[in-house]
Amino acid sequence: MAITTQVRPQRWDQPFGLFMTDQDVERLLAIPEISAIEESKFPSHCPLRGILKNDARIVKYTAGDIVIREGDYGNSAFLVLDGSLKVVLFPGLPGEMLGRRAVRKKNLWQVLKQLWNQRKVPEVRDVKRYGLQALVRDADDLGAAHVFLQDIPAILDKNKTASLGRGALFGELAALGRTPRTSTIFAETDAELLEIRWQGLREFRKYDQGWRRLFDKRYRSNALNAHLRATSIFAHLDDEDLQEVADATHFENYGKYDWHLTYKKLRTEDKTHGMKDEPVIAHQGDYSDGILMVRAGFARISVDRGNGQQTLTYLGTGDFYGADELYRAWQGELNVSLRVTITALGYAEMLRVPSKIVEKHLFPYWSSGKKRERKNISESSIALRRLQDFIDQPLTDGALMEWAVEERFINGTQAMLINLDRCVRCDDCVRACAATHDGNPRFIRHGKTFENWMVANACMHCADPVCMIGCPTGAIHRTMSGGIVVINDDTCIGCETCANSCPYSNIRMVSIRDEVGSFITDPQNQKPILKATKCDLCADQISGPACVFACPHDAMRRVDFKEAGLDENKSGF
Amino acid sequence: MRINQGFSLVHVWGVLSRIPKTRNPWGYLGFAALLFLVIWVWTIQIDRSLGISAFASGWILFGILAFLSLFSARKRLPFLPLASSSRWFHLHAVGGFLALFLFWLHTGGMWSQGLYGQILTALFYITSISGVGGLVIEKIYPRQLTYSGIEIIYERIPGEIAEIREEVESLILKCTEETGSSTLAEHYLETLSWYFQRPRFFMNNIFGSHLSQHWVRQQCMILERFLDKNERKYLDGIYVLAEKKRKIDFHYALQTLLKTWLLVHIPLAAAVMAMVFWHLILIQVFFV
Repeated sequence: MAITTQVRPQRWDQPFGLFMTDQDVERLLAIPEISAIEESKFPSHCPLRGILKNDARIVKYTAGDIVIREGDYGNSAFLVLDGSLKVVLFPGLPGEMLGRRAVRKKNLWQVLKQLWNQRKVPEVRDVKRYGLQALVRDADDLGAAHVFLQDIPAILDKNKTASLGRGALFGELAALGRTPRTSTIFAETDAELLEIRWQGLREFRKYDQGWRRLFDKRYRSNALNAHLRATSIFAHLDDEDLQEVADATHFENYGKYDWHLTYKKLRTEDKTHGMKDEPVIAHQGDYSDGILMVRAGFARISVDRGNGQQTLTYLGTGDFYGADELYRAWQGELNVSLRVTITALGYAEMLRVPSKIVEKHLFPYWSSGKKRERKNISESSIALRRLQDFIDQPLTDGALMEWAVEERFINGTQAMLINLDRCVRCDDCVRACAATHDGNPRFIRHGKTFENWMVANACMHCADPVCMIGCPTGAIHRTMSGGIVVINDDTCIGCETCANSCPYSNIRMVSIRDEVGSFITDPQNQKPILKATKCDLCADQISGPACVFACPHDAMRRVDFKEAGLDENKSGF
Repeated sequence: MRINQGFSLVHVWGVLSRIPKTRNPWGYLGFAALLFLVIWVWTIQIDRSLGISAFASGWILFGILAFLSLFSARKRLPFLPLASSSRWFHLHAVGGFLALFLFWLHTGGMWSQGLYGQILTALFYITSISGVGGLVIEKIYPRQLTYSGIEIIYERIPGEIAEIREEVESLILKCTEETGSSTLAEHYLETLSWYFQRPRFFMNNIFGSHLSQHWVRQQCMILERFLDKNERKYLDGIYVLAEKKRKIDFHYALQTLLKTWLLVHIPLAAAVMAMVFWHLILIQVFFV
């Protein structure tokens, strides 16, 4: 029998920039920001030249091109090689200018108009509406289309802006922290930028002191204080004390940023296998050396049970763990060790606030007659339930959470959960969705099941929306109010990046039709024009999600697993 | 339209939509009985004050029947802010039982006089029975479907069965090629092909019988003694697929009933409404 062989896949089989040459690398090594990096510090399996050639690319922008948009998610940072960029500071560009869709609730008349505006064929579009596509510049050599701004002088007049010139680095915090971009940056003149994907940034941070210091300094000055301030346990500190906490906090990264790429493969593997591969952040039985806070991503909380690990719950952005153990040890209790194991789910970016700092700034506050407050605060880190309750619960009680964590449904903030014991499979939900969305439902009433629960294939409006990474026009975005992930049909170019990125296959590409029902085609190749579609949570409907509204048996709910009360008897669901 | 004491239809709807929802059919029945008692007492008072209570009960019954028929329209207009479908369903179930009680009160018995009245009564009863039947199966079947261990979209069932049939036939071909024996193939042509052709055991599945399970097992057992070790390996594969098909058949039967009972209920309800409307015109023309 013939044996199929294949060269073992290597890290850089798929370089970031297809056209990066050795000459480009040499050129980059000559610029001050890169030449300052000590090449010798990089290991042989991950040389600096390799990173520049494979994890970076040179991108050219024409004056007016948007480089990054406020609110977008991205996995790369930029270094200006040539030209000048503008950062829009205040009041910011309107959503329409950035290729966004303003989501407004329909008024009663517009709701009624839906009665007679229903089409006989699905996905009919008014092509005249696609005027905004004129703002999309054709794909360049790298396959990326750029949205550009018109009338730059007017934008400069109306907005407070800052300039970025040669040598400026930006976008690294959002890329490494998987947080939205905080500003819009566009090319003021023709510009050349070095775009470095997160893998390269991670290596720079890991092997080069200068870049690490730069990243950490920027994070401390731009985001850490605000993050700590938003955390309940440090809310009482004044600015000076908070700065001390911030200065002492360590940053730690676990897992892979692009967890979604391996997620589908992971699902087919042995159930315990995935967990064994998860990077351990803290191990049950170890002594705690600080409070662990999640800056981005998710972490699994589990305990040893039999020959395996039982998942109790999970931590998301803003959650923390370890304060109780430290406090008990500080009060004099002996041999206080961690009661749980914490592992990164996909990836997790953690902040570790050292115990000495916690003992100085937090515990005296807790012990000064604020015990009740302490109790509330420390428990809030795990969804208002005492850890001991989770540990004591029978296996069956925590099975649903275990499943939700295993399947990464915890990423969803609006997962479509169906109680199959109630669902009569009437598809009223599907019809309601179709009636409110161009005659085509935006979800499939099918999905993974556990006991009597099904998570249907509907957009979950994830906390970590990997679908938004890489959208060339910013068509898929979060609404400013409510944080719902929506797609602007007008600026979607049908590249399928979002659909391919969604780990849950909840974005579907559809062929659009004109007013008479014929498919709209590209005149160049006669192929149908595609648009990405997904659940938008009926953001424009006054009655909320039509699917939930249309279910006669209350069998469907949109849930965040951490907050979901799924006990049928207690919650009525 | 305003009813005395300052209530409007909006207020009535407001009150109705605040009624706690129950999922227990006995709850619907109990709530309907309570409302009926109030109306019954009221009609007794009308009779005592020498009024004609049949007019009052008739108009209320007509109003309730009209409200019941609106549920179907509401389902087709999911974008209108007309309260959630589950609220409508709850009120529809309560209203259905109430209509039944009021029908008896209005007609003064279980059956009517005259051909027209008897046709109307028969249609009303069939509609009511189909409604109660629908309510019962909607309560029982979802759990049974869940416990079957698979979940399948109704429209995909024919495709799934065709896929299973192809798999079975390719297994049989492979078995014949590999072992040179046609026993399994012959048995397939004689018996099993019937089973894999389309959904089977419809009525048995509807009534929760295990006949299909028994049949599949029996067919495999009958054959087992005529097969050698290699052929049995293929038979095991076919048995697994037959079991999968059995579960799909079960879904097909139950989901068919869950989807089609409304095809009886809604047209009959429309016929009842039409006859009630004509009845109302006749009453207004000849008796008022």
